[in-house]
Amino acid sequence: MIPGGKRLVWPALLVLLAAGIALSLSVGPVRNADAWIILRLRLPRAALAVLAGGSLAVSGCVLQALLRNELATPYTLGISAGAGLAAGSLIIFHPAVPIILSVSAGFGGALAAAFAVWLISRSGGGGDAARILLAGATVNLMGASVLLLFEYFSPASRLVEIVRWMMGDLSAVDSTVPLFILPFALIGASIVAFRTGTLNQLAMGSDLASARGVRVGFERNVLILASSLLAGATVGAVGPVGFVGLIVPHAMRRLSGSDYRTLVPASAVGGMVLLLFADVVSRIVASPAEIPIGIVMALAGGPFFLFLLYRDRRMEE
Amino acid sequence: MSVRYGGSPPVLEGLTFGLDRGEVCAMIGPNGAGKSTLLRGMLDIGPVVEGSISVCGRDSRGLSRLERARLMSFLPQEYNHSSRLTALEIVLLGRHPHRAAWEGDSREDLDTAVEAMVLAGVEHVRGRAFCELSGGERRLVMLASAIAQQPSVLLLDEPGSSLDFRHQADLWNLLHSLGSRGVTVLASTHELNTALRFVDKVLVISAGGMAAFGAPDEVCTPELLGCVFGIPLDVARSPDGGWSVHPSVEAGR
Repeated sequence: MIPGGKRLVWPALLVLLAAGIALSLSVGPVRNADAWIILRLRLPRAALAVLAGGSLAVSGCVLQALLRNELATPYTLGISAGAGLAAGSLIIFHPAVPIILSVSAGFGGALAAAFAVWLISRSGGGGDAARILLAGATVNLMGASVLLLFEYFSPASRLVEIVRWMMGDLSAVDSTVPLFILPFALIGASIVAFRTGTLNQLAMGSDLASARGVRVGFERNVLILASSLLAGATVGAVGPVGFVGLIVPHAMRRLSGSDYRTLVPASAVGGMVLLLFADVVSRIVASPAEIPIGIVMALAGGPFFLFLLYRDRRMEE
Repeated sequence: MSVRYGGSPPVLEGLTFGLDRGEVCAMIGPNGAGKSTLLRGMLDIGPVVEGSISVCGRDSRGLSRLERARLMSFLPQEYNHSSRLTALEIVLLGRHPHRAAWEGDSREDLDTAVEAMVLAGVEHVRGRAFCELSGGERRLVMLASAIAQQPSVLLLDEPGSSLDFRHQADLWNLLHSLGSRGVTVLASTHELNTALRFVDKVLVISAGGMAAFGAPDEVCTPELLGCVFGIPLDVARSPDGGWSVHPSVEAGR
């Protein structure tokens, strides 16, 4: 049963997705692009925006359900910091590293951060949502600080590379990058897709979920693993791109409803649309130069999130 | 059975009681006596139970988590009050044990959920966001969700908290009518005056164990309740079947 206004969400999202892909393939510094530019440069870039946007949005959506907190993101749980530390260190210490190593390091770092969060929250006497959130904030700060330390001692030539990567960047993509992220995205998304009803239960509380047949500890660990796969591989490939995991689920919740069976796929498509358009903006605002997509997201995402919060408050009043 | 958390000493020991199909039982006792722990232990969601629990003739330990959820549903005290799901969507969550985790709501799910909302008297708020409901409405929506799970046994942890007199009476009346439909109900409560009118049995929990179990007339004596709650109580039965339990004049001195 879908209430009237929500019926339009899916057609609108699919039209926006198609428009985003068309724009991504047609916009760039070269006005009359030939087939080579479109197929070898723009198509992989559009594919990467689709994979990264969908992955980050779904990852944020999952964490918001697990932590019962609409402000949770891959950053809050330290997943992005772990991925950033691992992939960033690789860039500092081993320049020109193959992309598959960078992606794998991102996933490994994300998983290590998630495990550290799990260990810290457990050692504190339990794994409830508030404890996990605090542990995540700690791991996030520690990961970011260690990466800063590495940057401080790294040669100036590497600093440019790492700083550029830290800004989040889709421009240096070749056709292999989306292919390397694809398995991570597919496995992560499949794990989540079969657990959307479970997310609904976990979002209501552990006791209630357990009493309705959910193996809470197991399912929570599997979903954190999926979230790490999605966010870790993305951060490893394109660097940390903020706000996607926060504002997309937040906006979709208002458009498609809060049922994770519809919210997760809507967030996936919403994330794809957002990064496609952000990438197009990053190419045209300072053309022929490009602005890193992380900066575009930070500049647009912050005010947009504030707008959502303001609108919520108005509606509550 | 006895119930404990991990390696700690038992919270409750020496409990033996049985409820027939369709019986409604109020579990009473002072705060911290272990009522919630017993309910959670019966569902195997935290505390460890030693001994045996039989549900509908089946050993609870031999049941998978899902099988148990199809037999027993639970209304805990704590849940996410800030969910933006609508009241109907919250009730539909109770259908989880009866379908795959990714499946949508079937017509049968929807009918069952609406019927549960009508029973609980919250059909009129079906389209409203759960987080915008009053505390009492939320409680009744959660009760409807537990009913929509279509259990044989309903375990409720203080279902009447945050309900006004009318809704308390409606609630216990509803539990009584669920009993007539063959659902066994075990509910912890502090609303003795209202609950005792509608229940078949009373389980009294105190001092780490079971103080009494039986029909309200057998169990609810001033001596027993006064001893359990640590305060002199006046207990009286009215001609229309109602109960009055309140601190005696001596308690105020």
